[in-house]
Amino acid sequence: MIDSQLKIGLKRFASFSLLLGAASLFSCSGGSSQEKGVSKINPEDIKVVSEMMAELTAPPFVPASTANRQATKLIVDMEILEETGQMADGVDYVYWTFGGTVPGSFIRTKVGDEVEFHLKNHPDNKLPHNIDLHAVTGPGGGAVSSFVAPGHEIVFSFKTLKPGLYVYHCATAPVGMHIANGMYGLILVEPEEGLPPVDKEYYVMQGDFYTKGKYGEQGEQPFDMQKAIDEDADYVVFNGKVGALTGDDALTAKVGETVRLYFGNGGPNLVSSFHVIGEIFDRVTVEGGTLVNENVQTTLVPAGGAAMIEFKVDVPGELVLVDHSIFRAFNKGALGILNVTGPENKKIYSGTIQEGIYLPEGGTIQSMPEKDEKDAAPIVELSKADKMAEGKKLYGSTCFACHQANGEGIANAFPPLAKADYLNADVDRAIEIVLRGKSGEITVNGEKYNSVMTAQNLTDKEVASVMTFIYNSWGNNGTEVTTEMVQKVRNKNKK
Amino acid sequence: MFSKFVTIVIIIFFSLISYGQKQDMALIKGGTYIPLYGSDSMPVKVDDFSIDVYPVTNAEYITFLKENPKWKKSNVIALYADGAYLRHFKDELTLKDGENPNAPMTNVSWFAAKKYCECQGKRLPTLDEWEYVGMSDQKNADARSKDDYNKFILSWYEKPSTYHQEIGSTFENYWGVYDMHGLVWEWTQDFNSVLISGESRSDKDGNQDLFCGGAALGSTDLMNYAAFMRYAFRGSVKANYSVRTLGFRCAKSLK
Amino acid sequence: MKKQFILFLTVLFSFGMLNSCSESEVQESSPEEELKTEKKEFTGELPELSVYNLPSEWTNQNNENIRLEDLKGDIIVAVMIYTTCKAACPRLIADVRRIHEKVSDKANKQVKYVFVSIDPEIDTPERMKEFAIENEMDNDQWVFLRSDIEDTREFAAVLAVSYKRISPIDFSHSNIISVFDQEGVLVHQKEGLGVDDSSTIEAIEKLAM
Repeated sequence: MIDSQLKIGLKRFASFSLLLGAASLFSCSGGSSQEKGVSKINPEDIKVVSEMMAELTAPPFVPASTANRQATKLIVDMEILEETGQMADGVDYVYWTFGGTVPGSFIRTKVGDEVEFHLKNHPDNKLPHNIDLHAVTGPGGGAVSSFVAPGHEIVFSFKTLKPGLYVYHCATAPVGMHIANGMYGLILVEPEEGLPPVDKEYYVMQGDFYTKGKYGEQGEQPFDMQKAIDEDADYVVFNGKVGALTGDDALTAKVGETVRLYFGNGGPNLVSSFHVIGEIFDRVTVEGGTLVNENVQTTLVPAGGAAMIEFKVDVPGELVLVDHSIFRAFNKGALGILNVTGPENKKIYSGTIQEGIYLPEGGTIQSMPEKDEKDAAPIVELSKADKMAEGKKLYGSTCFACHQANGEGIANAFPPLAKADYLNADVDRAIEIVLRGKSGEITVNGEKYNSVMTAQNLTDKEVASVMTFIYNSWGNNGTEVTTEMVQKVRNKNKK
Repeated sequence: MFSKFVTIVIIIFFSLISYGQKQDMALIKGGTYIPLYGSDSMPVKVDDFSIDVYPVTNAEYITFLKENPKWKKSNVIALYADGAYLRHFKDELTLKDGENPNAPMTNVSWFAAKKYCECQGKRLPTLDEWEYVGMSDQKNADARSKDDYNKFILSWYEKPSTYHQEIGSTFENYWGVYDMHGLVWEWTQDFNSVLISGESRSDKDGNQDLFCGGAALGSTDLMNYAAFMRYAFRGSVKANYSVRTLGFRCAKSLK
Repeated sequence: MKKQFILFLTVLFSFGMLNSCSESEVQESSPEEELKTEKKEFTGELPELSVYNLPSEWTNQNNENIRLEDLKGDIIVAVMIYTTCKAACPRLIADVRRIHEKVSDKANKQVKYVFVSIDPEIDTPERMKEFAIENEMDNDQWVFLRSDIEDTREFAAVLAVSYKRISPIDFSHSNIISVFDQEGVLVHQKEGLGVDDSSTIEAIEKLAM
């Protein structure tokens, strides 16, 4: 009796503790989700602590990460400047800028920040402007509340609700013209925990420009509205001008480093097919949002859009940033350089291993089937003049590829025939080379050559003509080679 | 007798000079036209009037300040002029070094410009009057569809610091009036008849009849864009604003 | 010769006198006079930003001529409309009526709701009176004002209200409700129709003593 009661008791206890255990399991997971739940807070409800001035940077650099701070009241001080700059060598353009650069200053925020935006229009500017930030939830992206005349300042405030990389631009009529003159930039809203750290971060923004003159036409080039409407760009560039990311201004990285590009496209019209020659993108946040694509060669970045692009550089060399609508890269300026320095890794990329000649007829010495029967036909010897003419033709089709047009040969590869001591020393030897080819080291005019010349498939008459031409050109000794001489050499080894 | 005659001559001579120191005015024959914002059903009629040949200069405004000390920088009230008023002046009546007395007067508010014209027995031109005179080039009363005319204006928008140039340095138009384009923006009597919110993309709908012209954007965009900027500028300023690139000239009704 | 020289100088001098703008004298004397007809506790100089600095003259719906400064001492809620307006103005007026209903009784005793006409040519005092009666606004709480075309434009410029005649009887205009303190300084504005009026009401309550 006691036993059964005990059993029941035990069973009850067991089931009770099972229940307890199960419950605690659930509560545990509930607890952990609460920890992760920090990111599940409605961004609107994120509280800000204190306030700070935003660090704004000029391209291609970006401000420091926001990972180590909480959401804050961020004061952004943005000045609009209309000023002349250089579009390309000898080409000036009047840019309208946010912060004095194209693209405008990079703004780095974190989700939940309350941004107090001070937009200042410099008194020397001619036009009113405003700003539309794609990170803003509100009418016009802020444009409605930020219309400001020259010599005045306007303030509005917004809360960053969604992480991502966003474009900002001026939206004053005519909007296309304001954007086309360079009024665009990027604002980053980092997630709660900040973006994972990388070794190098860079800010690159593509834009298309429309000038009265053609690409490269010198002098100050005014904006051309009709071309802009026709979407007929003269310049497609990174960071506002041709060569902004080349030469001394090239981006840099070391082998083994991770690179993140904050890449934007200000437009106004063209979509970018962004590619880095020599690299594959490890991660691309598609359109600057939350979706991530991996192992991407070329990514589409719409006008008024952006993408975060990460890759690790493994070998040294110049990586070339381009818009792969390729004529834009090479004829309109959509080209930048990322210079990678450091030790090589031959396994990943070896560089050129070797180079040599490639002869489609076949490789080594060829022999023609021997003609045993002597030429029954009488030998009609051409005149020297005729031989020169025919020889010149033959030289042009047979010999010049290696020995070059004026017999100068190619250093370290093919010996010269012009004023060549080796040639002039022994005419029979020369004929034999033409008939049977030559390999091994020889010295001509003091230089060593060690290559292969194939036997030439020419008749005796042709050999005579071409060799007469050679001997009577370029300072050689003027020997006239006859068909008989050639025949003699050809038959020499048979006897 | 002769000495009396000389006196009279001298009086006449000096009176002519002193009137010459006032602005020359050009007579504008009235007409009807459709401005940028207008529709075919509402052409605008402009009566005959006269308008200053040149914008008001720094030197002329200084004379006005001497006679009307209430408008000096230290005396003017904030309702009538903001902090940028006369910013290019060194002190109450002197320009900063490098400023040209014959350049157009800028950094004046609408109230100040209005008062100046009133003191000359004139007034500010209305927006319609201003646009009517401004739409001409050297040869034509209405040059708005001409490429050269529009390109001149659009290229001016990109030139910095044209407020330093002397009056008369741009073209003389059909009416004999100079510098309607190329020097500075200009106040008009009813500059606040422009309903732009600054959010230009939504300006095209709602009860914003003003920009139904915006729907007509097509092959004549050049013309619209050149004028657009003027309207956008007018929509961005308030009456007490003083702007470096904004000056004025006066007009007078003839009736 | 000397006589003639003196004569010549006199002539020159008188030209100089004629050319100077004499309006400044008139303006200087008026504020002092107005202070004597002062209603409430607000004495002393008008603040620089006070709209009562405008010298313009207005007529109300009772055909009385006033200057803006006569409104000094009250909290002013002002809108610019015109009586023949069919589209936006009825809504704007409804918005003002709603503000009046929501504002506390204590505050309302110190408020004057002012409608300034954009179209003074049609909005004669008689027309404004009719309009006031139609809208059940014919008492001291509601003031209808009109002036000449130029002064109307000037008043609008101070309020940053834009308007434009778009047909013989219609205007396009911005819809702004403005609140002025007892000394005529603009303290609050709200643009739009049927928008959230809580900030306007707050501004009024704050000013009430």
